[in-house]
Formats: sequence, structure tokens, C-alpha cells
Amino acid sequence: MAHVMAEKQKNIELRKESNKGRRFSKKALIYLLLVIYGLVNAYPMFWMFLNSFKSNIDFAKNPFGLPVQWLFDNYKTAWETAKLGTYFFNSVIVSVAAVAVTIFAGAIASYFLARFAFKWGKMVYAFFVFGMLIPIHATLVPMFLLMKSLGLLNTHLGLILPYIAFNLPITIFILVSFMKSFPRDIEESAIMDGCGVFRIFFSIILPMTRPALATVIILNFINNWNEFSFALVLINDDSLKTLPLGLANFAGQFTTNYGAQMAGLTMAVIPVIIIYLLLEDYLVKGMTAGAVKG
Amino acid sequence: MHLLNRYKWPALIGIAPALVIYLLFAIVPIILSFYYSVMDWDGFTKMKFVGLANFKEALDDPVFWGALKNNLLVVAASVFGQVPLALFFALLINRKLKFGKVFRTLGFMPVVISTVIISLVWGMMYNSRRGLFNQLLEGIGLGDWAQNWLGDPKWAMFSVCVTIIWQFIGLYLIIFLAALQNIPEEIYEAAKIDGASGLKRTLYITLPMMRNTIMVAVILCISGSLRTFDLIYVMTTGGPGHTTEVLAMYMFDQTFSSTRYGYGSTLSLFIFFFSLALVYLSTLILRKRGD
Repeated sequence: MAHVMAEKQKNIELRKESNKGRRFSKKALIYLLLVIYGLVNAYPMFWMFLNSFKSNIDFAKNPFGLPVQWLFDNYKTAWETAKLGTYFFNSVIVSVAAVAVTIFAGAIASYFLARFAFKWGKMVYAFFVFGMLIPIHATLVPMFLLMKSLGLLNTHLGLILPYIAFNLPITIFILVSFMKSFPRDIEESAIMDGCGVFRIFFSIILPMTRPALATVIILNFINNWNEFSFALVLINDDSLKTLPLGLANFAGQFTTNYGAQMAGLTMAVIPVIIIYLLLEDYLVKGMTAGAVKG
Repeated sequence: MHLLNRYKWPALIGIAPALVIYLLFAIVPIILSFYYSVMDWDGFTKMKFVGLANFKEALDDPVFWGALKNNLLVVAASVFGQVPLALFFALLINRKLKFGKVFRTLGFMPVVISTVIISLVWGMMYNSRRGLFNQLLEGIGLGDWAQNWLGDPKWAMFSVCVTIIWQFIGLYLIIFLAALQNIPEEIYEAAKIDGASGLKRTLYITLPMMRNTIMVAVILCISGSLRTFDLIYVMTTGGPGHTTEVLAMYMFDQTFSSTRYGYGSTLSLFIFFFSLALVYLSTLILRKRGD
């Protein structure tokens, strides 16, 4: 009897052991797949970064390894001869101005759409949200003609205005759904005390909306910073080009100088990657807001 | 409610700035394109009314149809490439791994980076002489397989699609991860007690519960991939020989290289209605299958 029991115990232990082994190898496989996935995602940027320090000869001879000699000159070339500084400055101006107006106009509009039940409120909201469906490219040609007749071609303003218009829908969508979640009696007591609606907005609603505001600010900024097609159509003057447009241009001129090209791209991508790593959660929330809510 | 009527004016003032900018610079352009679409105009001489001639010209142009086909190809590559891969990796990352967050961060990174930068870097990776892919193939002794990835009509569209798929898997990965985290733990516990294996739990619990999210992702993927323009413009400008031309690229070429604003507006309208129709259609089909 005791013998049989011992045998059984041993069997169970053996099975546990093999289960453990199977689980371990399964886990290893999962990690392997994920590491490959991670590498495939990160490697192009890493490749660009590494090669931005190489001379052309070094790049041709040794495409995968570390640079034989770290050439920081590539960065100087890209910044100075390619006017990356100018493009950078233009991108900052256009992005910041567009974000500021979008957030301000969007927040105040969202406040009225979310907190007051007007007859036409729902319609106006639906009209704004419809904007998320408009394919930007369908407006490139008429936008060019519109800006031409307004005399806004080749101006910062001519770029800022469409950026605001096309970021308002998602901004209002996110802010309205956030502001709707506040309890109703918040403003009621304030109104009883004789507080004006705009004061309620600035001193009560806006501070409460801070997390959603952070999301839309970052989302807007990244959208504007990366935008290419409007800039391509509306800006022709080299001194007004934004970073994506300037980079596309500069790559055309520097087809032979790989190092400088990659140095320019690295400089353009670093601010975005830093913002992303620091504020990932906000950015992820913003970019998936449209999808998760349906 | 008593609040409504008293605050009509403040509300109007509050909504007006956003509404005016939105109307003027998002809606008016679309209305304008209706007007210009029946005109022939080079921007300098007088505009000439031509009726529906522009529409006929587009429908008669084989390049237009080729561009439309490529648009659909990009949509198909995105839907069948991005969504399944994203779902697969989301299921892996969701297993409460130690470094799960790192893979999420890496996975989403390409979505955040400017398409222009991605196109330029991938363009260099595809370069026939010094590109990463050909050097990699040579390095492992498969030098014969090296291709002129973007210059060869046979490979150009394939290469472009690979980059497009790569760029946006992360977006759907994040969406799926968010949905996976919303599935209550108890359901899995119950299934475990009933003896359902890991694969069975995925097939019969996770995936059915994700159905709505998957449908939303597919629709998003369709409307997103219809917007492909920057990438094609930077990587190939539609070449070689129109093999990677998409509608937006064709429109850009026709409008700004040949300065034909009327014809360009007609093409804008085609893009607008084509996108709306495809998104609407996919919503209908997916909804029906859901019922």
C-alpha cells in the first residue's frame, strides 16, 4: 500500500516537473516573439541614429556596427546647411499657436456643448464630430485655392488655421465626453451665488478638466508637429517651411550624404520621442480616444 | 431645464470661435470643391465652365483607376496585416509579463513619429545599393535576393505596403490592449475551474468579448489607410511608372504639376465621397455580421 502511494506521489511530482518545463518553454517562446516584435519596431530608428555618426565610407563598409569614428560634423552640416534651425523654429511657432487656439476655442465650446442642454447643441456637436471623418486630402486643392484668394499662402497663419480646424473635432470629442462626466450640481450652486457662466468655466470647469486637457494638448501638438500635406501645398517659401516639409526637401538635396541626412532626421525625431516617453499615457489615451469610445 | 434659455447668448459667444474656424477651414473647402469641380482653371486665365467634363475625364483615365486600385490594396494590406498582428501581440503582451510595458512602449512608438521621417528612413533601408535590407541579405549569403525595392515596379507596391503595415500596428495594439484590460478577471477564473485550456480561453472567451473592439479597429483601419499620401509622396511620388500611385498622389500631381485646379477639385470630391462611402459600407457590413 505504502509502496503504491509513494509511486503515485512520484508520478505527480514528475508531471508537475514536466508541466513546469512546458510552461517555461512557452514563456520563453512568448518572450522571444515579443523581443523580435520590439526589435522590428525600434531598429529602424536605432539604425538611423547609429548611422548619423558615420561618414559615407564608414556607412558603406560597415552598415550594422558602431561608427569607426563618431562624426558629430554631420549634425553641424544638417543644422546649418540644411537650415534645420529655421524649419525647427517654424514648426514650433505653427504648432504652439495652433495648439493654443484649438485648446482655448475647443474647451470653451465643449463647455457649452457638454454642460448646457440646447436644442441645437446636439446638432452642433455631431457637426463637429463629423469632421473626424473628413479625409484631409480631399481638402488640399480647395484649401490651396481658398488660401490663395485670402492671400494667406506662404504665411504661418495660413498653416495655423487649417491645423486648428482639423484638430477641433477630436479635441471637442474628447473634452465633451470628459466634461459630461462631472455631476450636474457643480455649477448649480455657483449660479445660485450669482456666478457668471464664463467665470464658472474658468474657475471651476477648466481646472477640473486638466487631465483631458493634457491629453488633447499633447495629441494636438504631435499632430501639428508631424503634419506634412497642408504644409506641402500651402508653403513654398523655404524660410517658412516646417520640419517635415523641410526634411523631405533636404533629403532630396542630400541624397549622397547619408550621414547628414540621418543626423537631420535624428534631430527632428528626438523631441517627439522625449515627449512620447515622458507622457506616453496621455498620448496613448488621446490617440485611441476615438476608437475606444466608438 | 431653467438653465437653457437664460444662457443662449453666452453659449453662442462661447461656441462661435470654434465653429467659425471649423466652418471656414474644414467645411467651406469641401463646398468650394463642388464649385471648382465643374470648371476648367489654371489659376491665371479666366475660369471656364465645363460641366461634368472633369468627371468624365477622371473615369476615362486608366491612371485614375490604377490609383483607386492601389488605394484598395493599401486598405486590404492594412486590414489584413495590421489588425491580426496587433491582436496577436496584444494577446501576448496582456499575459502580465514582467516587461509588458516596454513592449507596449516600443510597439506604439512608430505611430508617434512623423510619417515623413519614417518614409525617409525606410527609403534608405530599401535603397538598392546601401540599404539595410540588401546589405542584410548579402550578409547572410542571400545576395541574389537583393532587389531594387522601391525602383522595381514588381516590388514597389509591396515595399510601400510593408512600411505602412509596420507604421500602424501599434495603434491597434494599444486599442486591443485597452479592451483586453476591460475583460473581467472572474470570467477567466470560472473557465479555468471548468478546465478550459489557455488556447480555448482565448478562442471562446477573449475573442468573442473583443468582437466590438475588433470591428471598430477594422473600420478605423480602413478610414486611416485611405489617408495614405505623405508616405507615398516621400518614398516614391507614385512611381515607378504610376505603380504606387494612390488617389491623393494622382490628385496632387494633376493639380500642382499641371496647374489644373478644376480637375484637381473633381478628384478631391472623388476622394471625399469614396472615403465616406467605404467607411459607411464597412460599418454596415460589420454591423450586420455582428447581429
